Amino acid sequence: MLSPVEVELIKALGKGKYHLEEAVEKTGMKKDTILKASYLLQEKGFAEVITELKKKYYLTDEGREYLEKGLPEERLVILLKKGIDEITELQKLMGKREFGIALGWLKKKGVVKVENGKIKLVKEVIFEEKDALKKIAEGEVVDEKILKNLLRRKLVDYEEIKNIYVIIKDVPKIELREYISDLTPEIIKSGEWRGKEFLKYDITIPSKEIFTAKIHPYERIIRECRKIFLEMGFTEIKGNYVQPAFWNFDALFQPQDHPARDMQDTFYLDYYVDLKEEKKRGYIERVKDTHENGWITGSTGWGGKWDLNKAKQLVLRTHTTAITIHYLANNPDPPVKAFCIDRVYRRETIDATHLPEFDQLEGVVMDKNVGFRHLLGLLKEFFAKMGFEDVRFRPGYFPYTEPSVEPEVYVEDLGWIELGGAGIFRKEVTEPLGIKDKVLAWGLGIGRLAMLRLGMKDLRRLYLPDLGWLRELPAIKR
Amino acid sequence: MPVVTLYWNELEKLTGVDRETILSNLPMLGCDIERIEEDHIDVEFFPNRPDLYSVEGVARALRGFLGIEVGYKNYEVNPGKWKIIVDNSVRNLRPRICGCVVRNLKLNDELIRSLMEIQEDLHWTIGRNRRKMAIGVHDLSVLEFPLRYTTVDESFSFVPLDFEEEMSIKDILIKHPKGKEYSFIVEKFDRYPIILDSNGEVVSLPPIINANRTRLTEKTTDVFIDVTGFDKNVDRALNILSTMLADRGGILESVEIIYTDYVETTPDLSPTKMGVDKSEIISLLGFEVSDGDIISALEKMRYGVSIRENYFEVLVPPYRADIMHPWDIIEDIAIGYGYDKIKPDYPKTSTVGKSHEWNEIKDIVKEIMIGLGYMEVITFTLTNEEVQYEKMRRPKLEPWKGFIPVMHPLTGEHTIIRTDILPKLLEVLSVNTHHPLPQRIFEVGDCVVEMKNVLKIAACSTHSRANFAEIRSVVQALMRELDLSWDVKECKDEAFIEGRRAAIFVEEKEVGVFGEVHPEVLENFEIPNPVVGFEIDLSKIFNVGELI
Repeated sequence: MLSPVEVELIKALGKGKYHLEEAVEKTGMKKDTILKASYLLQEKGFAEVITELKKKYYLTDEGREYLEKGLPEERLVILLKKGIDEITELQKLMGKREFGIALGWLKKKGVVKVENGKIKLVKEVIFEEKDALKKIAEGEVVDEKILKNLLRRKLVDYEEIKNIYVIIKDVPKIELREYISDLTPEIIKSGEWRGKEFLKYDITIPSKEIFTAKIHPYERIIRECRKIFLEMGFTEIKGNYVQPAFWNFDALFQPQDHPARDMQDTFYLDYYVDLKEEKKRGYIERVKDTHENGWITGSTGWGGKWDLNKAKQLVLRTHTTAITIHYLANNPDPPVKAFCIDRVYRRETIDATHLPEFDQLEGVVMDKNVGFRHLLGLLKEFFAKMGFEDVRFRPGYFPYTEPSVEPEVYVEDLGWIELGGAGIFRKEVTEPLGIKDKVLAWGLGIGRLAMLRLGMKDLRRLYLPDLGWLRELPAIKR
Repeated sequence: MPVVTLYWNELEKLTGVDRETILSNLPMLGCDIERIEEDHIDVEFFPNRPDLYSVEGVARALRGFLGIEVGYKNYEVNPGKWKIIVDNSVRNLRPRICGCVVRNLKLNDELIRSLMEIQEDLHWTIGRNRRKMAIGVHDLSVLEFPLRYTTVDESFSFVPLDFEEEMSIKDILIKHPKGKEYSFIVEKFDRYPIILDSNGEVVSLPPIINANRTRLTEKTTDVFIDVTGFDKNVDRALNILSTMLADRGGILESVEIIYTDYVETTPDLSPTKMGVDKSEIISLLGFEVSDGDIISALEKMRYGVSIRENYFEVLVPPYRADIMHPWDIIEDIAIGYGYDKIKPDYPKTSTVGKSHEWNEIKDIVKEIMIGLGYMEVITFTLTNEEVQYEKMRRPKLEPWKGFIPVMHPLTGEHTIIRTDILPKLLEVLSVNTHHPLPQRIFEVGDCVVEMKNVLKIAACSTHSRANFAEIRSVVQALMRELDLSWDVKECKDEAFIEGRRAAIFVEEKEVGVFGEVHPEVLENFEIPNPVVGFEIDLSKIFNVGELI
């Protein structure tokens, strides 16, 4: 059985020997296609492909010049015949170089003698070289010996040409039907396709790779998380990256000498804000009292003096909790369900698992009659929606929650993996801001999720994308 | 967070249970097991539980948690004859000192190692790197009481720990390893707090270094502990240390601290009382729990407890540094009850979800750009002025009015937050020159201008025939899809080639720019092919919602 291309080739060419170029002209097929078809036919004994290496001779620049002006030795003989025989004069007329070449060749042929600075022609001479140059220029064949000579004199050069011939040895006795190769608008319009067959393509041959534009794999995970929160009835909130230390730390009952507040871990900005609004709402005074002595929250407080100036300094927020707590202070009436997925900053040296900025997901539920058990319920539901069916809970510690919990999810091949943290906001956090009800809160780093989902070992590639990686990574990772 | 090394032989001996039981229960008490080895485990404890930074403390907690020994553990302190006289001159430098004598110790290698480790951990956590609190442990037999806590000047000299020669304080702060490490705490001092014995011999130079002569040896049986600092953290550290040594069989004796105007006796190992309402317990936990369960949970967590009509009076052990509020105790009730026994319950709170305008606009823009064949990338917002302005041939914005510089950047790469996205995209192209062309990428996201977030979209296309018409088509399509009528004007943005750059105007407001990127910019970013691109400030056009 012949493939459509084989049939097409045989039909177009018929029996005989064809140069590849000739075959292209006759068939209108591409060189590659003809060769492929020919090799297939060769296997079946209907054709043969032969390659001949041929030298194609051409004149060099010098060769072309001599063809025009005559060879130097020829010109010298003409001058000698005119009676000019003084070497010095001949040099002047011909140029030293060409005179040298000419004399050398004439001497070699034994037709001149040099005596007392004069050249004497002693024999008649025939110059076959010029004739040969002319022949070569016209693509004709010349005497082997002269050709060699011209090659040596660098008047002629050659290139090797590969001539490929396709020999159709036999046209098989099968019905060679006419097939339609490309379906064109003309064919559709004329209806000439009716009663004809379409050329069958080899569907197993891969085509050229093309890549789709798509959203970033990391954004896909963020999108999935947002969808879960929205399905669960949460309001999405957003805040500025730059926040006063007050909202990033103080409002969250982080003591002012807490190591996490060190410039070791936090990007501070050399800029202080007045916290006018916070003062007006009474937050400043109450937060100060809570830090120093617990105010009316039932806490002992941290003791010592709380410094307003430290709260005024701006930072690149170290967590999105700076935003959620401010949102709750603005919206203290229950019920509130809010979430935030956004960029946070830590002053960390970059390595495979630590980045100076990354995205954090955070959710809060504020309501009457919710407690720790409901926080666990929320976490279980959230992780189930993320595809983690097995969740377990261990005690945890976060400075602004009590009780605190570290959820762990079970991942095939990896075992129990800690995934984020959660807790109920301390009274020292909520009461100074006028929040009367309990706030269940949880958060996790999207990077960790990305590592689990995308099987990534190095988080850096998320933020300095290698386009090859982005192009190759499937939209759905299974 | 401190990682504590616990040796199996000690841990098993002190708790009285096997490894399996320890391994399965320890995490439920609140810690992360970092490493399990043949002879030890490394455990990371939370910074609020410094009482767990020693094998003795862990064993005490575990015995309670496992029900082997429950309830409040009383520690006896025998009245001692030991006195420390405090000079007024320490008041403005490091005013507070506490002490304790522990007798009858068997100081083997293990205990000395454990003591050194817990000191380091306490220094780091409660002590905030020795600033707020520092500990010294000494061989009691070489000290002549009463001690004096006073100040001296920098020329005062003694033989510091691990040295054989006398050194002046000035030299210690420059040459001694500990002196170098902690000199930052005393750098503004003109006189230095010091503890001397009654012979005038140095005991310690807090918070830097002890004297060499008071060092512990295997022959030491009685020790004196000093803790210096400012506030109740001093007492907390001493309580944790003295109870730990009492658990090792040490007999505690009190030390009298004689200030100019009052006298104090330390350590005070009496419990703190805190009341917790049953209703608050149930409310915070979110489920009904019986009195019996509450009492049992509290006792497992080593509290003393008595109940009076739905009110629990709780005795908080003196070594617990973290109990500030009744909710701290309620958390321990939950831990004692067992997190694994609490049945999760999804809250009934009913609300309607709503996405933020910012992200809705982002999503629409993404959809359009992907439809136009542009691949989404994300980049860091941290960047530097060179990338944002110099390489772009753009004038540098003014700090605060334009970009924000961060203090103490870790690298020259990350000194400011981006005000524009396009330079970040050129960076992406510059590291991807080995991938096939054309490359068309975009990012829609946050920039920070004048300390506020703004939402920008930038895109660029690179290939050998990228030109103005191509990017104009893209901008036209984007604006059409966003239903915006817009206009262009000549612009002076040097990042683009003159005559092939345009400012985008919407309702008379300049909102963006597009054009053919200037070859000098391409050279700066080492991009070998033409690039065309645009950037639009979406927050100037759309309502992007409330930003907190």
